[in-house]
Amino acid sequence: MEIKRRDFLRLFGGLSGAVLLGGCGLDEVFDVPEALVAKARNGPGIETWKNTICRLCPGGCGIRVRLIDGTPVYVKGNPNYPVNQGGMCPLGLSALHALYNPDRLKGPVKRTGPPGAGTWEPISWDEALKTITETLVKLRGEGKSHQVAWLGYDERGLMKEHITRFMRAYGSPNYFQFSPTQNDIVPYLLLHGRPQIPAYDFLNAKLVVSFGSNFLEEGYSPIYYTKLYSHHRERETRYIQIETRMSLTAANADRWIPVHPGTYGALALGLAYVLIREELYDSTFVKRQTFGFEDWTDRSGEKHLGFKSIVLGNYYPERVAGITGLSSTTILELGRELGHTRPAVVIGDGGAIDNANGTFSLMAVQSLNALLGNYEQEGGVFFVGDPPFAALPAVVEDSVGKNGNQQIPVAHSLDVTFPVTNFSIESFTQNVLAERPYPIRALFLYKGNPLFQTLNHVDFAKALEMIPLVVSFDSVISETSEYAHLILPDHTFLEQWDEISNVPSVGFTHVGLQQPVIEPLYDTRNTGDVLIDLARRIGGTVAASFPFENYQKVIEHRAAGIFNSGQGAVASEGVKRFWLEYLHQRGWQLGRYASFEEFWGQLREHGGWWNPIRKQKSEREIFQTPSGKFEFYSQKLKSTIDSLVEKMGQKEQPQNLESVLTRLNISARGDSAFLPHHEPVSYEAEMPLHLITFRVLPNPDGQAANLPLMQEMFGYTVRRYWDSWVEIHPETAAEYGISDGAWVRVESSAGSISVRAKLNPGILAYVVAIPFGLGHSSYGRYAKGHGENPYSILRNLYDLLSGKPALEATKVKISLQSKPGV
Amino acid sequence: MPKWAMVIDLDKCTGCGACMAACKMENNIAIVDPEEAEYGRAMFWMDMITEVEGEFPNVRTRRIPKPCFHCDNPPCTKVCPVRATYLNEEGLVAQIYHRCIGCRYCMAACPFTAKVFNWKKPQWLDGEETCINPDVSVRSVGVVEKCSFCAQRLMKVKEEADLEDRPLRDGEYMPACAENCPADAIYLGDLENKDSMAHKLSHSYRAYRVMENLGVEPKVYYLSKRT
Amino acid sequence: MRVGSHIDYELDQDAALYRPIYKTGRMYYFAVGSMVAIILWAFYMFFTQVRDGLGVTGMNQPVTWGFYIVNFVFFIGISHAGTLISAILRLSKAEWRRPITRMAEVITAIVLAIGGLHPIIDMGRPDRMLNLVESGRLQSPLLWDITSITAYFTASTVYLYVPMIPDIARLRDRGGKFKWFYAFAAWGWQGTEGQKRVLNRAINILMVMVIPIAVSVHTVISYIFSMTLQPGWHSTIFGPYFVVGAIFSGIAALLIVMIAFRKAYHLEAYLKEIHFQYLGTLLLIMSIIWFYFTFSEHLTGIFGGEPHEMDIIMYKFTGPFATFFWAMVMCNFVIPVLILSFRRFKKISGILIASISVVVGMWLERLNIVVPSLANPRMELPVGIYVPTLVEWSLFAGGVAVFVLGFLLFSKFFPIISIWEIEEGRKEGLKEIEERIHSYLPRTTSPR
Ligand SMILES: Nc1nc2c(c(=O)[nH]1)N[C@H]1C(S)=C(S)[C@@H](COP(=O)(O)OP(=O)(O)OC[C@H]3O[C@@H](n4cnc5c(=O)[nH]c(N)nc54)[C@H](O)[C@@H]3O)O[C@H]1N2
Ligand SMILES: Nc1nc2c(c(=O)[nH]1)N[C@H]1C(S)=C(S)[C@H](COP(=O)(O)OP(=O)(O)OC[C@H]3O[C@@H](n4cnc5c(=O)[nH]c(N)nc54)[C@H](O)[C@@H]3O)O[C@H]1N2
Ligand code: SF4
Ligand code: SF4
Ligand code: SF4
Ligand code: SF4
Ligand code: SF4
Ligand SMILES: [Mo]
Repeated sequence: MEIKRRDFLRLFGGLSGAVLLGGCGLDEVFDVPEALVAKARNGPGIETWKNTICRLCPGGCGIRVRLIDGTPVYVKGNPNYPVNQGGMCPLGLSALHALYNPDRLKGPVKRTGPPGAGTWEPISWDEALKTITETLVKLRGEGKSHQVAWLGYDERGLMKEHITRFMRAYGSPNYFQFSPTQNDIVPYLLLHGRPQIPAYDFLNAKLVVSFGSNFLEEGYSPIYYTKLYSHHRERETRYIQIETRMSLTAANADRWIPVHPGTYGALALGLAYVLIREELYDSTFVKRQTFGFEDWTDRSGEKHLGFKSIVLGNYYPERVAGITGLSSTTILELGRELGHTRPAVVIGDGGAIDNANGTFSLMAVQSLNALLGNYEQEGGVFFVGDPPFAALPAVVEDSVGKNGNQQIPVAHSLDVTFPVTNFSIESFTQNVLAERPYPIRALFLYKGNPLFQTLNHVDFAKALEMIPLVVSFDSVISETSEYAHLILPDHTFLEQWDEISNVPSVGFTHVGLQQPVIEPLYDTRNTGDVLIDLARRIGGTVAASFPFENYQKVIEHRAAGIFNSGQGAVASEGVKRFWLEYLHQRGWQLGRYASFEEFWGQLREHGGWWNPIRKQKSEREIFQTPSGKFEFYSQKLKSTIDSLVEKMGQKEQPQNLESVLTRLNISARGDSAFLPHHEPVSYEAEMPLHLITFRVLPNPDGQAANLPLMQEMFGYTVRRYWDSWVEIHPETAAEYGISDGAWVRVESSAGSISVRAKLNPGILAYVVAIPFGLGHSSYGRYAKGHGENPYSILRNLYDLLSGKPALEATKVKISLQSKPGV
Repeated sequence: MPKWAMVIDLDKCTGCGACMAACKMENNIAIVDPEEAEYGRAMFWMDMITEVEGEFPNVRTRRIPKPCFHCDNPPCTKVCPVRATYLNEEGLVAQIYHRCIGCRYCMAACPFTAKVFNWKKPQWLDGEETCINPDVSVRSVGVVEKCSFCAQRLMKVKEEADLEDRPLRDGEYMPACAENCPADAIYLGDLENKDSMAHKLSHSYRAYRVMENLGVEPKVYYLSKRT
Repeated sequence: MRVGSHIDYELDQDAALYRPIYKTGRMYYFAVGSMVAIILWAFYMFFTQVRDGLGVTGMNQPVTWGFYIVNFVFFIGISHAGTLISAILRLSKAEWRRPITRMAEVITAIVLAIGGLHPIIDMGRPDRMLNLVESGRLQSPLLWDITSITAYFTASTVYLYVPMIPDIARLRDRGGKFKWFYAFAAWGWQGTEGQKRVLNRAINILMVMVIPIAVSVHTVISYIFSMTLQPGWHSTIFGPYFVVGAIFSGIAALLIVMIAFRKAYHLEAYLKEIHFQYLGTLLLIMSIIWFYFTFSEHLTGIFGGEPHEMDIIMYKFTGPFATFFWAMVMCNFVIPVLILSFRRFKKISGILIASISVVVGMWLERLNIVVPSLANPRMELPVGIYVPTLVEWSLFAGGVAVFVLGFLLFSKFFPIISIWEIEEGRKEGLKEIEERIHSYLPRTTSPR
């Protein structure tokens, strides 16, 4: 642009001056980065824009990258992408800091020294892949293919399938993801019988009651929720936020209700009491589509108490008030508001599930949706259909593969714990350490940073050291990849092909196309392609399972299915929700694309496809439980426990059941044990304060700590930069003589850290909160040595049903370390 | 002559901070060392004010994004000895980095602490030079800077409008913060244009400006049910 | 014995005034040396500031001004001693002024130069100083300062120089290796009646002229602050308040200088107890006036109770600045009043203590004006912190060193007490005063 050209000419006018002035730093031109001056020399650049998907968190927002002469210079939200409709969070906006990060690996490296010594030497892709192939082929030859494990993170959609395919073809049942998302699923699985996080029709709800779900900050897709929230502000929808600490969501809610940590379930049941007692619940739905509400008798004629009796008998307001620390009037108010508003939707997450009793309390929360008959209703709860992808050719298994795949997965707990999940980082770690049921010979680490993000750092590190070959795909060396023998750096997402479909809890079927906006800056490779390459090198059936040229082609292959289905539409200006619905009423389809090539071209230009039209599901489709209904009384849980009891020998021995329940930390007995109920969490009595952790938008999971802008913005809500803090209620602080900004020692039985205090009236008096995300000991120059990691002082506790880390089960003591100072 | 103004709807704004980040990236704003930031030298053209009201449990926290208010009667420009900051005919309060002598008088005079200063040589992510926005000139050590209402974007859309010789459409001039706000809480528009969103909203019953009593006529309006 | 010169002045009646010029002790060299050392260090510090930016200071957002502006106001304040006082004394024909005026005027000349440099030291881009000329905006109070300070500087240097001519002539007539210089500077003064008349005329015009300029200077300095809308600054009282403060600190500084030279150059014969008594009384009066202004300034603030105003007042009364604020009150009011209102303490030593206390106090006052208003922004922002760094302290020391060095050098080349005015005092003073007193009295009819 003219103006700019003149700007730069002026800039050069000064440059000669700068030369004269020499090094005294007196001329502004002196500060202009060389690269920019070079750019200026070429005159004004040609501006182009490319659409892709942000991968800095699982939110799956569509972004639009501005390129000048092919160089990305700015990232903004894609206004036409349905998930975020142009909205962004701070993290997504700093995407370029990830692309241009100086600590990125420039190519594959091999570790030469001990873990953590930081001694790495470059190695060629071919050499690296050879080493790996040799090991894999050898193991396979010895029929030990199952002794290879893959620890993923939060990958979904195609990449997840791709890895699954590789592991199956190779012959190992040991592909796991440690991100808690799938542990999140357990309570829903028990109630609905389907392993899917439901979506909530916020758009049409009049009242949203959230149990600990900090969806504006920590939701699966924070920006999607923010969009809905801002629409609501025009529609005057009411928000009630039940949460121990006033999160961003609570701060924006119409009402904030602070409860004791670990008592969300009790409160939910308290509300259920009001709904039932005052007959404010949807009796038709409850009668027709739920199981275990009224008392019932099973085939063997045994009588069982129903949800109703249990609730009316145990969760009357006075008792619930005692547990939650709220007044019984508050509980009545809440229950009545919930019962009298239609549609009113209830959502649970965060504190409601991040505790030792998470499964039961989330079941309790979700039960409210059943009482309100919210399933598949306007402003209620529903399940999004999968995109009509074209199926991929079946995996070819040979005998070795078959045998390997039949082995018990190494992350399956060998005793009674974690019965309803196929993975828990804890059992994984312990089994690897104990080499039970068999040793692990090779481990692939894909995304995430378990050593930083999980609770049991020490054991996990030991486990890593026991494994002869650890391969990581990190593009920046992290605490975890310090332990890898080989690092095969992946592209950053702006250089990479991938497909992001159906972000959990987003209210419509959608597919985001992640495409490179720039040629890879360094000698990195898309892990998807690396897998295909490895498969070819291994050969045989493994190679046969990957009849694709490359990962991009796999994406195209699946996309063809969407094209053929003729459903939905490419997310472009014209195609907004209302007009899709209009077409739907007319019963038309949207097969507007002459050929797949055209469709694919459109998809690439606009970056995504979506289909907001949901066909009503029959109750059988919604609830895949034994009863085909919503199960207050979870028959799945019952059968799981029974089978554990059976494992212990003589069938149906009461003492066996007793011991199983005890070892699962289930104090409830009889039918309550299988119904939503309040499980008291056992805290350490001698510790005075609860410790909870929370996450902030700029760095939700610690993976953004190497982005300088996100470090600077980490504490933007409290004006703290590059540093952690502990939030303390002013009264509590006064007791300890702690003033704002003072250094405070926070000590638990697991360890202690020192952070600066931030007095916050928006938190319960006996609770302290520390943000998760900082405290890296590796992960690049910007991440290393800033702040503290609260997980390092959390006790190694889990919800023993779901394997979800009990992030709110630790108690601590605090002490003033030094007064505030500069 | 248009008179550009910004409206921020606090009832919609969640305080997510995207505006702060968008501004930093769009305007090549330097990231200072951690110690510097802690010492009050962090540079945000769009700042975030947190107000806490009330007693537990009826606490109200509200977050207020704060750009430069582009006052129509700006105390900051009046004191500048060299006209390195001035109010232009379209109502933008501009900075001329090449002329600023760094006396910081304008900062001292701004009632809203909207300006920041380059205390040290500005620095960027090592290697990030390559992704600096070429539309925005890079500041040097010793000069004052602040929110410009993304003036470079105004130039761009004007050029585009001129090419198609038509007047600017309402909402066409879109600063980085507004563009990326996930709550669509930020509007920028022409107060002279009665049909502009900004004009309508600035006359809403929810509209207020910070410290109107000072008479500096901020051109950033906040919308809020609870003032 | 005589050092460096064979000029015979010992027989002169005012030998004591010539001695410092022709006789140089070891102490003198030591003093000059150490001052130069301090100044060089300050220069180095300033260089680092230019190289690395103002980041080397303790300033930040919101405390965007610190020591440099404080010292600017402080030094300019001190500079008021001289010219103003000497002009007023001359104008009121106060006979006791004679041994004082020159020192006073020298203070002005030197300190004004130092003060005037501070805005430049404070600039983020001193390299762009000339922009003030190229694109200066007269609407900016900063420009008003630059103008009035320049005017004041010119006026007061001339005002210092002109009355020096007869003395310079004397030095010229005594010869020595600087004869050429004195000859040049003496403008061919021969002490003829005509020249005397012109000289007195010139002095009279100048002294009438400098008074309004002097007053304007510090008024305008106060405008830098009062023209903004900032609480604690935006106050009509600031003009006179600053002028009063200036004269106050000026007198204190003058007293310190007088006592110092009296001791160093054994001028007891010229600077008598009485001079200190008179100036001491003046200092006492100023102290009370200063308190009156300070009191009104804060009372209006407190009474109005405007929240932002109160933030700043409480910041000074009980907050982080309490020490500085109350120390200021002690130094500027309590201590001087106690000392100066009791004969018993009002000795030279006592006056010295009072003066030092006042100079310190007035520096604190400037600090209390500049920082608190900035540290308490109107928006809901955290209270600012300001911790001056070594660079700022060094440049402060540098400023003081320049002041001392300036005096040392001046006293090496010129008599720091106006010789001819003393003589004039001896010759005409008595007669003149007698006549004047007669003129006050009712006419007495003389007996036949
Ligand atoms: N002054 C000057 N003029 C030139 C040239 C020059 O060098 N100088 N070069 C000429 C040449 S060679 C060319 S190729 C042209 C190219 O220059 P442009 O005409 O600017 O074409 P592009 O740069 O490809 O992008 C045009 C605009 O399309 C928008 N855009 C990009 N992607 C999308 C999208 O997915 N959706 C929507 N809605 N908008 C999108 C962006 O706003 C972008 O600025 O300019 C020509 N004109
Ligand atoms: N901007 C932004 N985006 C977000 C969020 C946010 O806060 N901000 N929220 C995020 C949230 S809440 C979710 S759930 C989604 C998905 O987010 P995911 O990326 O799927 O999961 P995270 O919680 O981000 O990170 C992995 C977590 O694994 C947890 N973990 C520790 N120990 C164990 C264990 O033993 N087993 C298991 N399975 N996990 C363990 C650690 O808490 C670590 O933080 O979207 C994420 N999206
Ligand atoms: S929420 Fe932020 S980080 Fe997550 S995808 Fe969206 S923009 Fe990216
Ligand atoms: S981006 Fe929008 S919602 Fe987020 S803080 Fe800024 S104004 Fe508020
Ligand atoms: S807000 Fe401050 S900086 Fe912006 S125009 Fe007003 S006075 Fe100037
Ligand atoms: S700092 Fe720059 S813009 Fe501000 S007043 Fe001084 S010269 Fe003007
Ligand atoms: S208008 Fe532009 S410059 Fe101002 S705050 Fe928004 S993004 Fe930053
Ligand atoms: Mo979550």
